Amino acid sequence: MTSSNITAEEEQLSRFMERIESGDKIEANDWMPEEYRMTLIKLISMHGMSEIMGALPEKEWVPRAPTLNRKLGIMAKVQDEMGHGQLLLRVTEDLLLPYGKNRGDLMQDLFNGDLKFHNVFHMETKTWADAGIIGWLVDGAAIITQTDMLKASYGPYARALQRICAEEVFHAQHGESIIMALAEGTDEQKAMIQESLNRWWEALLMFFGPASKETTGSSKQDLTIKYKIRTKTNEEFRQIFFDKYIPRILSLGLTIPDPTINYDSESKMWSYQQPDWNEFKKIIRNQGPRSEARLNLRRQSYEYNSWVRDALSETVS
Amino acid sequence: MSEIEKDLPMENKEALTSLLFQLADDDFMYAYRGSEWLGLAPHIEADIASSSISQDSMGHAAMFYSLLEDLGAGNADNLAHMRIASERKNSILTERVNGEGYYMEVPHYDWAYAVVRSYFYTQAKKIKIDSLCGSSYKPLAEIAVKVKMELYYHRLHWETWFKQLMGSTDVAKQKMNKAVELVMADFGDVFSYGNQKLEIEVSRLIESEEDLKAKWHESIKPVFLALQMEAPTIPDLPSKNGRNGEHTKDLDDALLTLSEVSKLDPVAIW
Amino acid sequence: MAKETFYQEYEIFSKRTPNSAFQHQFSLLAPNEDMAFVMAQENFMRREPVADIWIVNRKHVRKMDTEEKMTLGRLENKDYRTTKGYGYLKKKWRQYEQEILDEKEILSWGGERK
Repeated sequence: MTSSNITAEEEQLSRFMERIESGDKIEANDWMPEEYRMTLIKLISMHGMSEIMGALPEKEWVPRAPTLNRKLGIMAKVQDEMGHGQLLLRVTEDLLLPYGKNRGDLMQDLFNGDLKFHNVFHMETKTWADAGIIGWLVDGAAIITQTDMLKASYGPYARALQRICAEEVFHAQHGESIIMALAEGTDEQKAMIQESLNRWWEALLMFFGPASKETTGSSKQDLTIKYKIRTKTNEEFRQIFFDKYIPRILSLGLTIPDPTINYDSESKMWSYQQPDWNEFKKIIRNQGPRSEARLNLRRQSYEYNSWVRDALSETVS
Repeated sequence: MSEIEKDLPMENKEALTSLLFQLADDDFMYAYRGSEWLGLAPHIEADIASSSISQDSMGHAAMFYSLLEDLGAGNADNLAHMRIASERKNSILTERVNGEGYYMEVPHYDWAYAVVRSYFYTQAKKIKIDSLCGSSYKPLAEIAVKVKMELYYHRLHWETWFKQLMGSTDVAKQKMNKAVELVMADFGDVFSYGNQKLEIEVSRLIESEEDLKAKWHESIKPVFLALQMEAPTIPDLPSKNGRNGEHTKDLDDALLTLSEVSKLDPVAIW
Repeated sequence: MAKETFYQEYEIFSKRTPNSAFQHQFSLLAPNEDMAFVMAQENFMRREPVADIWIVNRKHVRKMDTEEKMTLGRLENKDYRTTKGYGYLKKKWRQYEQEILDEKEILSWGGERK
């Protein structure tokens, strides 16, 4: 191929991929292919909105939390989630600059269903043990995916994740603290954890997404791996989750709600019963158990208080 | 600290306990309503900032409940979660819901109300805390000094919101003025000491109701002056006096939720 | 238009202690400076000490574009202005039974007389 056949764009692209391959960090004002920008926008905006929507199920436990310390712990955790959302939306907004879109547009995308939030936050919370399970295992799952992306090729995202992961350690310990008190408590309290785990198990499996496109018809993992935004596949994450958490769950005297789950020491893989991926498909269409209600709550509050944003727009300096 | 406790004559101890419950219950309910806004504030950065204030206030309540525990009133968590409405001594201002249709799945939380209630409450709290820094009961004075430190931010935060919204669009002014009306209607018991007024004032735990009311007035006048508005006046008689255990249905609903989990097993460790 | 003006970008800087230098934290959206100021500490510095804060509207930050960044390039041929270029002195001073005055030694001169 002679140099006259290679367009300027192709050259830029190949230089870009060289940067990616060599572990270079891409920054907000660097040249990047459209596909990279769009992949980042989709991933990070969904991550950000998930933190923001995730605050809603959790905050339901602030008034119900049975001690002053627990109330404070959940309030701080929920505040952190909103904080994470803020960091991630800022990263997204800077990527959106060439399109002239801003935070208001992102909120509208959330409300009209174009911008999705993570499946796990569409689920119901029923008991106090859920507050513990969320902090312990849902945040635990998030830590696994987020720590992998600390090395992401996109600088601003990697830096935001550093702040986020630092706070996640407190979240995990807060969740463990709730669960530990229950696990060492009365028979009713112990039963509460088991019941909660039984209800949340499938949601936890689905947290990492389908292993392949065949399961649900789509998967974003290929692009994010190609561009070194992450290094592992959905299934690899799920396996790490089993590695880290199954021994701990069992150590507290709980049983895994999947009698078939089994570790093969030769292949070093866990075999387990697949969750109902049809449920997953419903959730990603915002038809999960609490999808509509939570979006409604968020949308109504946003619109009901839009006069606040209008009022302060007059004060721009 | 128990030495001081032993020296407290019975009437003083009752007055002290009563005042402490007022302070603790006020901040507890204020923080409770504040935390209902989590995830729902009109602006994400504002959501994060205002939730620090709710946390700080819950922390203040915890300090007061802890002091009550030291005085033998009971376990702090139980005091916060298990007391019935008629035993609660918070101002009714702090127990009011954040907006209409609270009982519905999608309530309308009113940010104007949140700002006005918070601003006026925080100003009142500052006046009280300043007085408590010179309290005759040392442990209480020590807590007041700590609370005072965090109030600098709370006041700056709510005063900024108040001034900016009050001084902006017609729609904003109208909503804010409506909120002021609602807040002032419930402000009658904020500075009241209830039936314990005499004992509390005589034992010099805190300055008199009248003195503090006047100070509150003086403190908000400049802000209203700058906005070319008349400062509101505190009603002479409260519609209900929360300090005497007179409360609204809003508190009943809140207490049902508050005690939901603890009631499952009041002696279990959570 | 409301949506264009409410969301101004502010860069937040802070000092950990009164004697440390300012460092950049992150950016936030706010309609004006006073609002940005009121939100800064609780958004980014909840778990660290803060002695001072600067707020700068991003539009007041003079940034560099890709072409301008070319002006930052430099050759690594400037040992004449670093201690690296004078390392040979160590051996020389040894001949006179003296130690070299390197960075560590010289920066210790502000301290107690030895």
